[in-house]
Amino acid sequence: LEILKYTEEHIRFRERVRQFFQKEVSPYADEWERQGIVPKSVWKNMGERGFLCMNVPKEYGGMGGDFFYSVIVTEELALTHQTGLVAPLHSDIVVPYITSFASEEMKKKYLPGCVSGEIITAIAMTEPDAGSDLASIRTVALEDGDDVVVNGQKTFISNGMNCDLLVLAARDPSIDDAYRGMDLYLVEAGTKGFEKAKKLSKMGWQSQDTAELYFHDCRIPKRNRLGVKGGGFYMLMDKLQQERLMCCIIAVAIAERLLDMTIRACREKTDYGKPLLKLPHSRFSIVEAATEVKLGRTFLDKMIADHMEGKSIVVDVSLGKAWMTEMAMRVADRCMDLHGAYGCYEEYRIARAWRDARVLSIFAGTNEIMKGIAAKFMGL
Amino acid sequence: MDFSLNKEQVDIQKAAREFAKGEFDPELILEHDRNQQFPRSVWKKASELGFMGAQYPPEFGGQGLGLLESALIIEAFCEQDSGVGMALALSDFGADLIVAHGNHDQKKEVLPPLAQGKALLTLALFEEGYALAPLKVFAKEGLPGYVVNGTKSFVPLGALADHILLVCQTGSNDPLAQSLFLIKRETPGLKCSSGGDKLGMRMVPIHRLAFDNLIVPKENIVGGKGQAHTKVKGFLNSMRIKCGAMAVGLAQGSLTRAVEYSRRREQFGRAIVSFDLIRNMIADMVVAVESARLVVYKAACSMDQGKPDAPFILMSKVVGARTAYDVANRAVQILGGYGYMTEGMVEHFFRDAKALELFMEPARLEKDMLVEQVVGKVKE
Repeated sequence: LEILKYTEEHIRFRERVRQFFQKEVSPYADEWERQGIVPKSVWKNMGERGFLCMNVPKEYGGMGGDFFYSVIVTEELALTHQTGLVAPLHSDIVVPYITSFASEEMKKKYLPGCVSGEIITAIAMTEPDAGSDLASIRTVALEDGDDVVVNGQKTFISNGMNCDLLVLAARDPSIDDAYRGMDLYLVEAGTKGFEKAKKLSKMGWQSQDTAELYFHDCRIPKRNRLGVKGGGFYMLMDKLQQERLMCCIIAVAIAERLLDMTIRACREKTDYGKPLLKLPHSRFSIVEAATEVKLGRTFLDKMIADHMEGKSIVVDVSLGKAWMTEMAMRVADRCMDLHGAYGCYEEYRIARAWRDARVLSIFAGTNEIMKGIAAKFMGL
Repeated sequence: MDFSLNKEQVDIQKAAREFAKGEFDPELILEHDRNQQFPRSVWKKASELGFMGAQYPPEFGGQGLGLLESALIIEAFCEQDSGVGMALALSDFGADLIVAHGNHDQKKEVLPPLAQGKALLTLALFEEGYALAPLKVFAKEGLPGYVVNGTKSFVPLGALADHILLVCQTGSNDPLAQSLFLIKRETPGLKCSSGGDKLGMRMVPIHRLAFDNLIVPKENIVGGKGQAHTKVKGFLNSMRIKCGAMAVGLAQGSLTRAVEYSRRREQFGRAIVSFDLIRNMIADMVVAVESARLVVYKAACSMDQGKPDAPFILMSKVVGARTAYDVANRAVQILGGYGYMTEGMVEHFFRDAKALELFMEPARLEKDMLVEQVVGKVKE
């Protein structure tokens, strides 16, 4: 009995997505890695085919699809050898803030572009001194008539250079309570005082335009605020569940792909005079990795099912994110060892995958924070 | 059993630490890591202060120090920076073979320039497939000397080295009939090409050396015709201890950075070093570093005392490299987003740790050799 019941339509969708990625994404992965960014045209190309924001209701240009569509695109992306085209961030993490919390006017204004790929989104929470401790952000949004004036700095923002629309977390300096003083605003790229300051150099995710953003007297209309005043922190808490679930999907999908790839390499390549598979400890190492991957997949699919039923999965997704992301790194590391001394050459895909996998236990809430949340909700 | 270093050793360690602290410039490190460049300027300065070739006899430009003292220098360098430290440690890759088996003229010609920072040496050993016997590169005896043909695929600093120690077959009937030749870089018939982009140890670029009817005179044989195989194996043993020293330094450097960061970084109103999970990680890191250090020092002492302890020598690299990996991995985690960014200056420690683990041979082959040492040869 399958845990997740994909329909014929889902299966055909997966096939279309896979073909598109094989033709339009994977062949360009190396080029994008070198350039440190994915051309915006690729996002548009995806949008035109209906591979972005599948959950957005039809009235705003979407297909009103279920969460399976998000799972499918995210899993298929894991086969593309690049991380810059991070569609789940846009479709399943940022845009849901607009779908759930924006005014009708804002939804009409922005959602069709998000679906078509003309608008690429990002979300800016982290600051140089506020990472895990989100409530301590210092970026301020000061009310001034019909506007708010934003000042501050954000860092490690994925899609930071490419983004056309930003969901920005900022606090009202007139409110002392850090939680009730936080709001989310939609900020368009090009708004005066919003500067995409610099692209950051990092260990992996090299085709992803992670950036530092500055706000200097940046004036945005008050109506760009999402939800009710003071609701920012609670909106984030609400949506972080799905964000972490997306990380789990990425982690498990990457681990599965790396294991497949490595098993193939071990059959084909020889090292020290023998096929890699015949070298000491290869077979059992593969079996042990496969065990972890299968456990991860089963747990993940159960979480996806619960999430789609609207259940709160905060404990599962928190401890799951901590375990699955570390599992993905363990599998990546084993796979590199299985490749033998060749593993550390970038011409073999495993080196990039190993570098890319490392960030999973850091972003979207570090694993230490995940364990803290799990402990709290388990009443420990 | 006395576990303390003597005064001379403490002084050497202190001098090496001070030198590294003063000369390993962060900008230079990032640039050389990015461009896969050997850090020539630092190497020259290190040689002026007598750190290079310290274990050569004084008459050949060295200080006649033991392997433990060399290990202390390497460890101190890698603690300050894994990339620069490894590059300096491998700037005379193969020199131990000349010290141990070279004749007076060979030592006189090669060793002093290595110690003076005027020349680089490398050992051309590994071929496609990494098998050590039989080798595919062959030197055929003729007039006026041996004629060498074939390709060495993985030669550290291969294109930069002024002297190349070549290990190749000199007899076809016995796979162990191998000889060592000292070859000058400008000898006709030698072609170098890049071995490609590497995950870590990037300041030690790997090159492919192709020998096309290269002629090498008989007197350039080091250590007698057909005698190389066991000598090279012995050399790999001393390298495993040096790799252990690199690993312990790398691990210590990662630990130091993680501790500094966790004391400085505040979240939730307090330094993160006060959080349970961080403290637990630091404790694990300390346990790992100190345990590995004891293994490496014991292995080095066993060599210096002329009673090589084979299991400890193998363990130096196995435990050392795994410790370097685990500790650097945790350091990346403690630094969080900064840990993943290039500017955080720990991500390259982590990459270097993985490359070190795969250097010469992957851990699973070392483990297999270790089992053989402990339980003896077992029939399959």
